[in-house]
Amino acid sequence: MSEAFQIMMWPLLACLLLPGLLVYLGLHIVRREIIFVDLALAQVAALGICMAILLGYDAHDWQTTAWSGGFTFMGAALLTLTRPSGKRVPQEALIGIVYVVAAAASFLLLSRSPEGNEELRRTLVGEILLVQPGEVLRTFILFTAIGTVHLIFRRQFWLLSFSPEQGKSEGLRLWRWDFLFYVLFGIAVTSFVRMGGVLLVFSYLIIPAVCANIFATTLRLRLAVGWIVATLASVVGLYASYRLDLPTGAAIVCALGLALLLASMIRMFHHK
Amino acid sequence: MNTKLTIRRIFLTLAVFLILTPCSHAKLNVITTTADFGAIARDIGGDLISVSVLAKPTEDPHFVDAKPSYISKLARADVLIEGGAELETGWLPPLIDGARNPKIESGKPGHVMCAEGLALLEVPTTLDRSQGDIHAMGNPHFMTDPLSARHAAQRIAAAFSTVDAQNSAAYRQKQEAFLHRLDEKLPEWKKQLEPFQGRRVIAYHNSWPYFANRFGLKIDLFLEPKPGIPPTPAHLAEVMTTMKTDNIRVIIIEPYENRKTAEAVAAKTGATLVNFSQYPGGVKGTDGYIELIDTLVNTLAAALKTSDASKELPK
Repeated sequence: MSEAFQIMMWPLLACLLLPGLLVYLGLHIVRREIIFVDLALAQVAALGICMAILLGYDAHDWQTTAWSGGFTFMGAALLTLTRPSGKRVPQEALIGIVYVVAAAASFLLLSRSPEGNEELRRTLVGEILLVQPGEVLRTFILFTAIGTVHLIFRRQFWLLSFSPEQGKSEGLRLWRWDFLFYVLFGIAVTSFVRMGGVLLVFSYLIIPAVCANIFATTLRLRLAVGWIVATLASVVGLYASYRLDLPTGAAIVCALGLALLLASMIRMFHHK
Repeated sequence: MNTKLTIRRIFLTLAVFLILTPCSHAKLNVITTTADFGAIARDIGGDLISVSVLAKPTEDPHFVDAKPSYISKLARADVLIEGGAELETGWLPPLIDGARNPKIESGKPGHVMCAEGLALLEVPTTLDRSQGDIHAMGNPHFMTDPLSARHAAQRIAAAFSTVDAQNSAAYRQKQEAFLHRLDEKLPEWKKQLEPFQGRRVIAYHNSWPYFANRFGLKIDLFLEPKPGIPPTPAHLAEVMTTMKTDNIRVIIIEPYENRKTAEAVAAKTGATLVNFSQYPGGVKGTDGYIELIDTLVNTLAAALKTSDASKELPK
């Protein structure tokens, strides 16, 4: 057991500390019905990484982070502009287009850069098992900062996602808050993607939020349910990964999927 | 009195036996990154060691996906054997960090770098990413030369002898036996490929300069435009033109490379596709290193021979 703990300690810490914010952001994302926005922003950030690598920077240089951050910023601006005003073009379609074009553009850039290929693969699959202590701590500090901003302006953000009409009537400048939301969201997603990969970040955002919606209606309760689901699934997934020697990220994703299945079954029997 | 003494003696012997047994029978725990080192370690360590190889022989050694067992294996290892020429640089260092095992830290006798002391080929004069996925220390696929394997065997045996000194005589003896077999085989292999001196062969990735050098072949044209970059239509067209003008009729392909590309090129140029692998177990019937080179030399010689025969047929 001590050996298991020694090996899985940092992945476990990462999976206990970091999804807290992701679950909260997931509640917003699910409510707004922009499920694939995280994939799109992660892909845009990856495009920035590819660009930096093509310009000759190393994957770990600060310039690479700057490029990735700049692209995330642009992606956030783009998504702000696409907030549905009319219903002619659904926002989900535009999000999908951002994702596909960013992915194709990375592919074009990568055809000229062998190192980028490895880097992109890492972006998609992630290496939660080999996460470095410094990385976990840095990301945790960043997440705490983002969480604090959300805590301070929780009312504005809440109105933004859950009743934009009421917000508007109260004089809330929706696009400003939208932009801030997407920037913070983009930073959170891309920094976690570097560790856990796109699949894991998607699952942490969406699955606990969906489970929460099954059981609860108030924000507090939803958050509690989401956090419990994320924590239990993380522990089960990491334990299964260790005992059965499975790829860690994929094991957690499947554990989260299983959690949703269980949640729906409990709900069904509860109703009867 | 006498019986008491006897009982005492029995107890003493038993106690000594019990204390010594775990030490003298515990096998040396050996981890290797790739199957070539694994096979040679088995030849040298025999029953005295237990070997576990991290990368599957059919897996691209540049990219290996980490699993929890890799870290626990490294945590329990007495000896870690790696190439040490940056082939494993993308995935091994974080695993070693995670294992926190002082025995296999770099610089310790339990951490064997097989390339150390070898003169690597294709050491870049300037490091420039535009040249593709290059390695600063030179081409890391050195084990395809039997003489590099000779060097690796010596390094591995030396490490085993240092870490497990009480069995050093056995390791040395097995090392000699391996080197003897290798030295016997080398002239045979050279003779088999003798008729094909200077012949060009196509490869997918630049993994074979050491093999080509040793046996007088030229494996210098690749389906990848640059190492690590997937084939592009323009580059493949160029390769096919060269194949036709220079009459190159053999393409070698490894298990993890894109076989479809190689098949398409082979179909368009009438070339033969030959299954190759740098790793024992990567092609059928090759459990040991010597069996592997044996198979490679045999199949390549046969393919070159048939391509010669078909060339002589009137078109």
